[in-house]
Amino acid sequence: MKPKDRRAGKLLGLTGHMQAIRSGIEHIFKPRMTVLYPEVLQDLGPNYRGMLKLRIDICISCTLCARICPSNALKMVKVDVRKYPGITYQRCIFCGFCVDICPVDALEMSGSHDAACYTLGEQVLKPEDFSKDPVIEDKPRVKPLFDEKRGLRYESC
Amino acid sequence: MSEEQTLELLIGPQHPGSGHMRLVAEMDGDVILNFEPNIGYVHRAVEKIAETKTYVQIIPLVERTSLPDTANHNLGYVLALERLLGIDAPLRAQYLRILLAEINRIHSHLYGMGIHGNMIGSTTMLMWAFGDREPFIELAQRLTGARLSYSYIIPGGVRRDLPQDFRNDALKALSYMERRLKDYDRIFVHNPVTLARLKGVGVINRIDAARIGVVGPNLRASGIAYDVRKIEPYCIYPDLDFEVVVRDEGDAHARLLVRIGEIEQSISMIRQILGKIPDGSILADRYLDLVPSRTRFEKRSSVKFPALFSGLKPSKGEAVSRVEASRGELFHYLVSDGSTHPYRFRIVTPSFKNLIAFKHALLGQKLADIPAVYGSLDYFPPEADR
Repeated sequence: MKPKDRRAGKLLGLTGHMQAIRSGIEHIFKPRMTVLYPEVLQDLGPNYRGMLKLRIDICISCTLCARICPSNALKMVKVDVRKYPGITYQRCIFCGFCVDICPVDALEMSGSHDAACYTLGEQVLKPEDFSKDPVIEDKPRVKPLFDEKRGLRYESC
Repeated sequence: MSEEQTLELLIGPQHPGSGHMRLVAEMDGDVILNFEPNIGYVHRAVEKIAETKTYVQIIPLVERTSLPDTANHNLGYVLALERLLGIDAPLRAQYLRILLAEINRIHSHLYGMGIHGNMIGSTTMLMWAFGDREPFIELAQRLTGARLSYSYIIPGGVRRDLPQDFRNDALKALSYMERRLKDYDRIFVHNPVTLARLKGVGVINRIDAARIGVVGPNLRASGIAYDVRKIEPYCIYPDLDFEVVVRDEGDAHARLLVRIGEIEQSISMIRQILGKIPDGSILADRYLDLVPSRTRFEKRSSVKFPALFSGLKPSKGEAVSRVEASRGELFHYLVSDGSTHPYRFRIVTPSFKNLIAFKHALLGQKLADIPAVYGSLDYFPPEADR
């Protein structure tokens, strides 16, 4: 490399560094896309495939949900004389196939996905427990809104 | 000991810097003489498990081979299955499929770039790229209901229609991304540190790239304009106007630039799709007729599966499909014996084909170049191991 080229290369490197530093400094003052989880929860929207709920009064015990379940999370369990689906969240992958195949809309998905439990047994739900509403934590929620300048902007709701 | 000896250096299989695999490098001082990636640490026997599941149950399974790139894997499998079933998706469903595939390509490339940045010490790039994935993951979530494991594409169509306001939200996210690409350019892509680490490092020349069978952005960075979306177009790619991004240098930096170029192309493709997506059904009539009319999708946001989906029986035969996943050409091969389970299922993933590039790109390089080249290949071990 000739001395002149070397000097030009150094100058180019210097401007590159300066641009990078300027760009970084600019972003110190820009607001960020951050949700302070778990103090604040993100609203997951109406279509979110979260934890499931069975409406046992509508269920016709057709077993289609248990048959399509890809991870064997749903199983038919005997209650009195008929069988109804029970679920284990140890296996559920939240694909929502069971909801979409149910011919009478007896299964529905909620906007909650916090399936954490203290014991493994709590994640196995019999049909009676499965037909209760999933626990939805009472915490402040924010809704993501799209923004051209910031990407996502979170507004409390 | 006076005799000079080479050193066999083991890197990994613990994650940082090596991925879920072990790298065996034969070193002469600081120079790599021989390089052997030792894979298989995240093998999950996806192909064998698939033989025990029904055809629709395999959809979530094939996604698990590559979680950053689920939509393309889902699409590839469903295209093969549709060929076995002899069914075509309606036009609107095909547009929605490619819409999701391109959203997925953007956030998958961002994932790769972020990891690459982290590997060569630019933590800013990691944070920015992972942060900027969020708008696209949020878009995909509004469309499909899940953040990564979409399971959105089903035989004969897709599961959900475009939500209200999706078009506006998507356009905002796209112009945000365009703005951010300029920031990336200053802080990472043309940063002198990045240039010094990546320029001329890990070169795979044009002839070698073709000979060893590298695919995807890694192949296009070596000067070969091979893209399944152009060579063997599927779904609606013939109707879309896009370029195959090619660079001639073949080094780690060229591979980075190709990915940036592909993000720009995907942005333009999503704009075109949103502009000309036709109205109509999103599930093939053959399946729609089997669903009770009160649960048809016109009355709800998602389609109802016909009961038939719990035990689809394609006729005897075999089918293949090729799609361009984010990391390259993805190949699915499906053999049916007429029962509810596939007789044989084979996936050839792009990462598996790109693995051999390690051996070629790293010979004669310095030890410190391993992460730089590893990141530039955007290799995803779970995808290669299946």
